[in-house]
Amino acid sequence: MGHRIHSVAYRDPQTILIVDDDEINRGILDNIFADDYQVEEAENGRTGLEKILDTPEKYCAVLLDVMMPEMDGLETLRHLKHEELLDEIPVFLITAEANDAVMKEAYRMGVMDVISKPVIPYVVMRRINSVVELFRARRSLSNQVMAQQSELLRQAEQIIRLNRGMIEGLATAIEFRSAESGDHVRRIHDITRYMLKYTEWGEGMEDYDIEQIAQASIMHDIGKIAIPDAVLNKPGRLTPEEFEIMKTHTVQGEQLLEKIPELKENLAYEYAKDIARHHHERWDGRGYPDGLKGDEISPWAQIVSLADVYDALSCKRIYKDAFPREKVVEMIRDGSCGVFNPRLLDAFFSVEDEIAKMYDANGKEDAK
Amino acid sequence: MDTLRKETLTAAGIDVDNALERFMGKDDFLERMLKKFAADVNYQRLVEAVERQDAEAALQASHTMKGMCGNLSIMELSELFTRQVELFREEKPADAFAMMPEISRLYENVKEAIGAPEA
Repeated sequence: MGHRIHSVAYRDPQTILIVDDDEINRGILDNIFADDYQVEEAENGRTGLEKILDTPEKYCAVLLDVMMPEMDGLETLRHLKHEELLDEIPVFLITAEANDAVMKEAYRMGVMDVISKPVIPYVVMRRINSVVELFRARRSLSNQVMAQQSELLRQAEQIIRLNRGMIEGLATAIEFRSAESGDHVRRIHDITRYMLKYTEWGEGMEDYDIEQIAQASIMHDIGKIAIPDAVLNKPGRLTPEEFEIMKTHTVQGEQLLEKIPELKENLAYEYAKDIARHHHERWDGRGYPDGLKGDEISPWAQIVSLADVYDALSCKRIYKDAFPREKVVEMIRDGSCGVFNPRLLDAFFSVEDEIAKMYDANGKEDAK
Repeated sequence: MDTLRKETLTAAGIDVDNALERFMGKDDFLERMLKKFAADVNYQRLVEAVERQDAEAALQASHTMKGMCGNLSIMELSELFTRQVELFREEKPADAFAMMPEISRLYENVKEAIGAPEA
C-alpha cells in the first residue's frame, strides 16, 4: 500500500465508509460526518469489502457493524487484515454487542477502536476525528521522509556517476597518450567483469565486489602518465634502459593513486592500487615489479593481467600489428607473454568465445 | 417538534431529547426515521419466525429491532429486545418466544404514537 500512497498526485483520503445493514444506523452516522467528510454506505460486509479493495486509498476510516447478513463485521475485518489494509485505514467496530469475546478478537486483529451502539454523536465524532488526524499526520511525515530519502539517494547516485566518469576520463586520457582509443580500458573492464561474474574464477565473490574490481581495472595503466612520450610512444622494441622506465608505470600508478586522498573513500581504491602495481606479475615469479609468485598475486591482479595481454595481442599497437584470434590464443597458452595460473587459463578459455564477441561489437577499428 | 407531538412520543416510551441528540437536533430527520421504523419488515419477520419456532431467524430480526429501538431511543422496547436477544444467545428460545405478547403490546403502542407512514 505504501508505494501507492506515495504517488505524485497523492491526496489525503477524505471518505468515511459506513458498513451496516441497518438503514437508520447508517443514516445517523452519515448525518454525523456529512459536514466534514465524504460519506459512502454499504449495507453488508461483502459490499463494504469490495468497495475498500477497489480503491483503498480513498478511505480515511471505516465504521463497521458486527452483526450483518452476507458477511459479518469480524469476517470483514479478517479480510482487511489479510490484505494488510488495517495499517493504512483505521477501522472502527460499531456494535451493540460489546461482549468480551468480540472485542478481544477485534482488537487482536487490529481494529482501531470499538464504539458501542446506540452511538452518542459527539463521542463517535471525537474518537474518529482524532484517529483520522493521527493517520494524516503520520502519512504526511512519512511522505516527507520518503521524499528526502529519495532526494539523498538521487544525489548519491549522481556522485557515484561523477566519480566513475572521472575515473574513466582519467584512464582514457592516459590511453590517448599512447595513441590508443578509450576502448582498451572499456574492454579490460568488460573482460574482468565477465570472468568474475560468469566463470569459476569469480567463485565466492559478491556482485558488489565484482563491480568494484571491474571499476578498479580501468585504472591499471594509470602510472603511464609518468612515462615520457619517447618511451611510451616509441615504435619498435624498447632498449633495456627504456624497458626499465616503462616497467615503473606499475609502481608509479600505485603511488599516483595514493596521492589522491579523495579516492581513498572509493571502495574500489584498494583493488585499484593492487591492480596498478601487480598487473605485470606472472605466475612463475618472472613478472614485475615485485616478482610475486603463484597465489601471492591477488586474483583480481591475475585476471586483469590476462585481460591486458589478450587485449594487447588482439589489437594493433604502436609497436605491433593485431594478431589473428587463433594466434592470440596460442601465444597465451604457450606462455609467449609470460606464464599464467593454469586455473585462470582454464576459466578464460571456457568463455573465450564470448569474450571474442566483444571485439566483433566494438573492437573493429583496433582489430584491423 | 411541537409539544403535543413530543408528549405523544414520550408517552409511548420514546426519549425524544435523547433521540434528537443522536440526530444532531434535526427533528425532521428523526421523524423520517421513526416512520421507517414503523414500516420496517423486521417486526413482521420476528412474529413469523416465532410462529414457526425458528430461533435463528427470530434472533436476527430481534437483533435488528433492538438496534433500531436503541437508535431511536425507544427505551422500554429496546430493553425488551435486548433481553430477548440475550435469551436467544443463552439458547433459551422458549423463554425468548414467551416475551412476544409483551413486546407486541409495546410495539403497537409505539407504532400508533408514530402514526401513519409518509405518503
